[in-house]
Amino acid sequence: MGIHKVDRLAVLLASAALATAPLLFGSTYTIGVLTVALCFGMWAASWDFMSGLTGRENFGHSLFIGAGAYTAGFLNVEFGLSPWWSLPAAPVCAVLFSLVLGLPTLRLKGPYFALAMLSGAAVMQNLTIIFSSYTGGQDGLNGIDPILDSPLAYYYLVLIFLVATTIILKVIANSMWGTLLRAIRGDEASCQASGINVNFYKIASLMISAAFAGLGGALYAHYQLQVGPDLFAVVLSINIIIMVYVGGLGSIYGPVGGAILLSLLTESLRAFSEYRLWVYTLVLIFILFFMPQGLIAPLWRRIRSYVA
Amino acid sequence: MVQILVYGAVISAIYAMLAVGFTLIFGVARILNLAHGSFYALGAYAVYTFTAVVHLPLWLASVLAVLFVAAFGMVMERVLVRPLRRSSLAVLLITLAVALMVEQMLLLVFGSEARNVPSMVNATYHFAGVDISSQRLLALIGAILILTSLWLFMQHTRLGSAILAISQDAEAAQYMGIPSDRIYSIVMGLSAGMAAAAGVLVAPFQTVIPGMGLLPLFKAFAIVVVGGLGSIPGSIVGALLLGYTETIIAFKISIEWSQIVSVAAVLITLILRPAGLFGKRAAF
Repeated sequence: MGIHKVDRLAVLLASAALATAPLLFGSTYTIGVLTVALCFGMWAASWDFMSGLTGRENFGHSLFIGAGAYTAGFLNVEFGLSPWWSLPAAPVCAVLFSLVLGLPTLRLKGPYFALAMLSGAAVMQNLTIIFSSYTGGQDGLNGIDPILDSPLAYYYLVLIFLVATTIILKVIANSMWGTLLRAIRGDEASCQASGINVNFYKIASLMISAAFAGLGGALYAHYQLQVGPDLFAVVLSINIIIMVYVGGLGSIYGPVGGAILLSLLTESLRAFSEYRLWVYTLVLIFILFFMPQGLIAPLWRRIRSYVA
Repeated sequence: MVQILVYGAVISAIYAMLAVGFTLIFGVARILNLAHGSFYALGAYAVYTFTAVVHLPLWLASVLAVLFVAAFGMVMERVLVRPLRRSSLAVLLITLAVALMVEQMLLLVFGSEARNVPSMVNATYHFAGVDISSQRLLALIGAILILTSLWLFMQHTRLGSAILAISQDAEAAQYMGIPSDRIYSIVMGLSAGMAAAAGVLVAPFQTVIPGMGLLPLFKAFAIVVVGGLGSIPGSIVGALLLGYTETIIAFKISIEWSQIVSVAAVLITLILRPAGLFGKRAAF
């Protein structure tokens, strides 16, 4: 099962649209906003791969983001390595975190995983403040080197990573592997009874999810040139979950669209930044009550049925 | 030493009130309520409003604050949670939305600076060489009284038996003629009222800020995991364990390290005994 022709065309069109956007509104500020939106897209897609497919809500995705971002910061600022090293190192570090928290909690059912991840992220935020002599405390690590000097070139680099992430995750989700993950969401007990090693699949999918979230975190760190304890904040995880809901749970491409849409929406409401969380909260309530399938994925499915 | 004993008892009692409410609504209605911390914050702010703005006597303000938050919890259950009950993820997210909304509302109305609530009693006692404010002792006594009356209510009234019946087997209880929807509403009110009472009791010696509900939510969750999700005795024992460990570490090492205790406890419990100390089912 590869990617359908119509979907291939859509990926091309969407990438082309994202690639021309900074050329049309060429200010450095807009490019920055778009780069951040793409990072959110990576985080939302990676969240959706684990939680959307297996139905185990991860309320501490910021743990992996922060782990990736701080890995980038440490390697670059403390050890003086070239910023390119962050790109392989950040996913590895995030995967280690996913093993530490995933192994004890993922074999359990119910809400344990969600809440253990939530507290895991909160503890890491506390730890970065406690060990402030290494992590810089509230101020975080400053003076991270950029990977590419031109913001526009860096935007394209992040865009390539986002498109690659989305395609890889979507291909895995459409394969046998993804079907298994969805089967686990449907009925874990009967999966186990048919001889599927449910825990292996859940932990492996969390590791994949963490790897891409960590990569996104490193890319974000090299855009901001600074990392701080806020990257572990619960609010960040929650924003990502809302983005996924707006996009459409379990579709991978929907959450990417939802993330870009919501980041640009909140950015355009910057003048009312106090009300930013209100926007997120009201959008969440509206979606939960009136569009439980989300906005972007169902829309695309409808367009697709006309075209194909 | 005496200080650790008394401070640990106070913090454990407050944690127990929060955790019992949290575990009650989960055990009965299977609602994992992320808005539980906001009930606590709302209780503290309500007592602040009734005393500092409306100028009511403190005891009346406290009672009104608890009743107000209990009513808020019941309205939330009826309007927001009940229509989404079919999906547990939707319920989790709607309680999250309420938690965010309450925090934003408090921020909007009261601003981000800390508010002060007057003490209900002002004396300070000397106790084997240490000073202990009577407000802390009042919080301890209040929490013990509330927990005891909850225990008596659950064990000796018809309504209490109905709640226990629903928590054991909701379907069978419904066949026996117990109106489960009304019970869920009542339990949400009870749970919210207890969280608010905890907020009211600690308001005089805690900083009252809009985000004050987040940490108690983590603590309540940690306690409930250690004690066993859905078990009331478990959450009281868990509260004592966690409250004392935190106090000892806060006194001997540092306040920051004490924040790690709860999560370490969660992880250790989930690895060694996922059902918790008093949980019957193996983590559902």
